[in-house]
Amino acid sequence: MKMKKVFALLLSVAMLASVTACGNDNNNTVSNTTDSSSAADESTEASSEETAEELPVVSEEEDTITIMVPPVTGTYTEKLAVWAKEFEDMYPHLHIEVIATSWDEHGSKLTTMALAGEAPDIAEVSYGAIGTYVEMGTAINIADYMEAGRLDDYDQNALDYMTLENTLYGLPLYITIQALGGNREMMEAVGADVAKIQTEGWTYEEFLDVIAAGTTNDIYGFVFGNSGVTTADFVSIFGVSAGISSSFTEDLKYAYTSENMLALLEAVETMTSSGYMPDYAVEAAQRLVMLETGEAMVVGKAMPLFESNVKKNNAGIADGTAADGSIEVEYVFLPVPTMEGATESVFGSVDGFIAMRNNNTTDEHLKNVCLFLDYICSGERAASVYTELYLTCVCESGRQIQSAFELDQSELNAAATARAISKVNAPPTGITAEMSAGAKTIMDEVIVPKFQALLAGETTAKDMYDIVCSAAYETFGQDNCASGWVK
Amino acid sequence: MRKKSNQYTKLPARRHKWLSSENLSGWGFILAAMIVFAFFTLYPVISAVFTSLQDYKPFGSAWVGFKNYTDAVKSTLFWKSIKNTLLYTAAVVPLSLLIAFVIAIMILPFEKKTQSVFKALYYLPGIASGVATAVVWLWLYDSSPSGIFNQLLGLFGVSSVNWLSSSNTAMFSLILMALLSSHGSNVIIYMAALHGIDNTYFEAAEMDGATFMHKVRYIVFPLCKPTTLFLLVTGIIGSFQVFMNAYMMTGGGPDNNTTMIGLLIFNNAFNYGKYGLACAQAIMLAIVIAALTMVQFKVMGEDVEY
Repeated sequence: MKMKKVFALLLSVAMLASVTACGNDNNNTVSNTTDSSSAADESTEASSEETAEELPVVSEEEDTITIMVPPVTGTYTEKLAVWAKEFEDMYPHLHIEVIATSWDEHGSKLTTMALAGEAPDIAEVSYGAIGTYVEMGTAINIADYMEAGRLDDYDQNALDYMTLENTLYGLPLYITIQALGGNREMMEAVGADVAKIQTEGWTYEEFLDVIAAGTTNDIYGFVFGNSGVTTADFVSIFGVSAGISSSFTEDLKYAYTSENMLALLEAVETMTSSGYMPDYAVEAAQRLVMLETGEAMVVGKAMPLFESNVKKNNAGIADGTAADGSIEVEYVFLPVPTMEGATESVFGSVDGFIAMRNNNTTDEHLKNVCLFLDYICSGERAASVYTELYLTCVCESGRQIQSAFELDQSELNAAATARAISKVNAPPTGITAEMSAGAKTIMDEVIVPKFQALLAGETTAKDMYDIVCSAAYETFGQDNCASGWVK
Repeated sequence: MRKKSNQYTKLPARRHKWLSSENLSGWGFILAAMIVFAFFTLYPVISAVFTSLQDYKPFGSAWVGFKNYTDAVKSTLFWKSIKNTLLYTAAVVPLSLLIAFVIAIMILPFEKKTQSVFKALYYLPGIASGVATAVVWLWLYDSSPSGIFNQLLGLFGVSSVNWLSSSNTAMFSLILMALLSSHGSNVIIYMAALHGIDNTYFEAAEMDGATFMHKVRYIVFPLCKPTTLFLLVTGIIGSFQVFMNAYMMTGGGPDNNTTMIGLLIFNNAFNYGKYGLACAQAIMLAIVIAALTMVQFKVMGEDVEY
């Protein structure tokens, strides 16, 4: 009897031990010893260049820096592991821990970690999300910890994206331009002058004529990935057609209450009710497939790098690796059309890295963090990203190295890209963290859900506009919301 | 010399019984579960109550009293999510119980081996990963004309439906998915309950000329009432906490028509960083669930003994 009780107690202890011993084996943690030989070859030249210069003097105390990144490019995680190793070779007392995430989970995982006081030291963010972390008190003014003179390497307009309330919270990695893409042959077949559109832009009426002509029983003239949270992309990217290039106007009023927003919504209503756009939600990956299979003539959102994706798919037609039903497509990068009364612009988003506060933060640690932050956002590391994304650099050190690379990009697409970059408007200065967080909440809780209903034909443009206005007045006050047409 | 015992030295009988070796063993057995409960349930609940009274920030929260609760009550999205959750629960729980009960009745006449086969088949969807199940259903509900369900409709000449993107069909799509994916455990429990009914009741009923429906109504239903109450209570508790279906399938849309209270709490906590507000909403949800459970026990459970 006594043995039975002892045995039972042992079982209880074993159960307790198994529960408390449940570890979180983070499979996403990339070992900093991962090898990537091809990336290493590319990096050798740059690392020797770096070591030849005088390295910044830092404390010799052992320190670990964590960085959390989604797949910025297809090979970014592998390359980052190599760059981390190079950095550790330069600074043997500093260790880099990489946490790789997916795009879907990155935002919520970062927020969760930040709220728990366990944020990574460096995290990739889009500029629009910086306000959330500033409000939390976890974002850090990096200007206080950067090496003197290093900020001069970066373009000021890019740094402006990473600045809130005159405080610099991170370094830009790239300015991405997001607009439209199309099938040259299909567009020219309906009479569109593609070269002129790429080099001079087009009006909304011209755009409507082209997509109307291109819509048949089997083909949509225009498809935009708008499923779930990507709905926000449509509002941001196509919003420039109505002259809305940021959530706030130059005089810091909330922009989505202007008549420009109503015009945008009415345009969407026209396109869906006429059948030029699908009236169902299109997944982000699906819109590129529809372009590659000839089911769509013009797609969004689109970026210059899609030319590489389409060329790969074209090459895959011969060996059967292409998407089912693929046709040969000559990809053209197109600007978003401009409505009457609006100034042409292109949606530019800056993604970069911010330094974050956690339970291990000290001033010495932050200096080390900013050292690595600067390392991955400049030089060969930055040039590698820009080349893969078909973008131009936002730092001088990256530009010098990128000039040696050749992009497999058509002349007209390159010209369209350069033109688009010149049309990007940086968000107005003076946006506070509170304003930024409020704008994000309205976008997520009001605009995106209502937009989905608009696409499905369950609400009207006017009704949606009124609801957005109500929510904005409640959040910002009517005096801080734009009215009338904003140029 | 043995000390004489008196009222000051003799332990009270009740306390003496507490410290008996048998009771100590009992405390030992449940100690592990109590520690787990304290760490993983009690402590988080108490912490959530405190957090709900704060404007939570990881480095320096501020006490705001009941502001989070008033903000939640003033939010139209909060009430919409409550309405969506009630609608979902009202549809899924009773239908799920009914489907499970009918299946259990139909399986009962078979021999044990055949019953086991059917029980396994109905239970299998329950052990699949919820995320994997949601991905499959997303594929089935694809809104394009090439989606599986739309192709089936096309065979009957019906035009494509915007299953997850239309306010008219999004909630129905989630309910259908829940009904077809998650009644396996209810079937197993009902089967156990049905096996527990003494055969003599049915024999006596047959001798009195009872039909099948008479037996179900006058014997099976009353004797399965404790099981039904248990499944109803646990079903409603689970349904009020539904999150994954809406998160994976619709993201709460379109137009917040599938935003359940669980998803709203998740968004507030992990997308907007409003921990305090999320905790306040979670506490309110817990109170609602507790109140509903008490009502159910009051209405249905007065004559139920376990």
